[in-house]
Amino acid sequence: MREMQPDGCAARRIKYHDSRIGLSGVIDSVMGRTYELRIPPPFDVAVKSMEREIMRFLMRSTGDREDAKDLFQETWLRAYRAYPTLKSEDGLRPWIFRIAANLCRNRVRDRMRRTRVIINASANGVENALCASVSSSTRGGPENALHLKRSIARLPGKQGQALMMRKFAGLEYAEIGAALNCSVESARASVYQALQKLKADE
Amino acid sequence: MSTNKIAKDLENFDDGVLDAMINEARSGIERDLQLIRRPEARVGVISSPVGRLLVAESDRGLATIHFLSMDAGERTLELLRKKFDLIENEASTRRVGAEIDRLFKGDFSVLAHRVDLSVVESDFQRRALTLLRTVPPGAVITYQGLAAAVGHPNSQRAIGTTMATNPVPIFVPCHRVIKSDGTIGNYGGGVENKLKLLRAEGFTVGRDLRLPSGAVMGHRKTRIFCRPECSAARRAGKASSLYFADAQSAGKAGLRACKLCRPA
Repeated sequence: MREMQPDGCAARRIKYHDSRIGLSGVIDSVMGRTYELRIPPPFDVAVKSMEREIMRFLMRSTGDREDAKDLFQETWLRAYRAYPTLKSEDGLRPWIFRIAANLCRNRVRDRMRRTRVIINASANGVENALCASVSSSTRGGPENALHLKRSIARLPGKQGQALMMRKFAGLEYAEIGAALNCSVESARASVYQALQKLKADE
Repeated sequence: MSTNKIAKDLENFDDGVLDAMINEARSGIERDLQLIRRPEARVGVISSPVGRLLVAESDRGLATIHFLSMDAGERTLELLRKKFDLIENEASTRRVGAEIDRLFKGDFSVLAHRVDLSVVESDFQRRALTLLRTVPPGAVITYQGLAAAVGHPNSQRAIGTTMATNPVPIFVPCHRVIKSDGTIGNYGGGVENKLKLLRAEGFTVGRDLRLPSGAVMGHRKTRIFCRPECSAARRAGKASSLYFADAQSAGKAGLRACKLCRPA
């Protein structure tokens, strides 16, 4: 039986019935047991189906093209190494987002540490990163876009990522919860709080 | 602030820009993946005279055969995933099914199919499984005999574990391993399937699941077969001893009768 997932990955499933043969050598009972053989899609197929949304998410999270490309590579390499631990295709999307989100968080933390040592000034690395990116990627763009990016950058890490996953990557709350290692309610609350803060900033 | 407004304000990466960035990043990914890429294995489920089988085959040979009548094969798939990139390919596995059918029709040449023992971690186990492939169809060896052949005469229990975890049953013939007391022993795919496979190879076991009364002991090095109670058979050592169901089977395997005990 084959199904199509919303993201285009074919869920490849085989369903079959088996009979149990007794030790006497005669089929003494037939049990209609159903097994499922569930294999995640080949890695290259997974990459192909999700590369744009991951790149878009990384671009939004880092705000810098070079950083996004670096993290994009790192995300897929990590995903490949850990791919054998993925049991089926159901959890693939939040799983990849979780890797990407963790890498973004690490990158921001590293940058904050480095920034402190060198110039000992900025308290918010994300904001710096995003402001830098705005100047490079949306130079001459609308003023409110710059303001909005600054506002998003000022959001706490989890709220910012939850907002981006929900509003730009279109993930379900359950998927966001899986990606950020929190409950569905917590994911929903993070997005709500982020939106409230953006409204207050306006 | 509405969702649409946020999306509109920040939606400045069109697909073309993203694709260009992805293409730039992809070469780096491919380069790094080459270093860590696992080999591919084609997986599928087939029907056979011994029930439904989960089959995996890599370019190096058969990697796994799992009896689905015993369990759903989750553990097997988990082990496979660590070593291979799995791809569903029923055409490839159907060929294996055809070979098993031919085996049951008496064509033992199919057993020469290459096997890939990558999922076996231990050297001891790999050596035992490789040696086991030299036991000809129609003959059986004891756990103790196989342990002696591997060079560890007291490791019959380890051989038992090795047989229980044999990744490629049928083609690595763990069904040809029996207990030293002459009973047929257990089998990962069920005793019934063990009997079926032995029967297909011309080794018939009695109702009591013991070696038949006319069984003879063959010696692989001297190419002589004796009655099990023959003094020459006892001297021969377990490492190269095999059991045949009767003298005729031993003769067919190219062994000659012992001149002391004169097996029929």
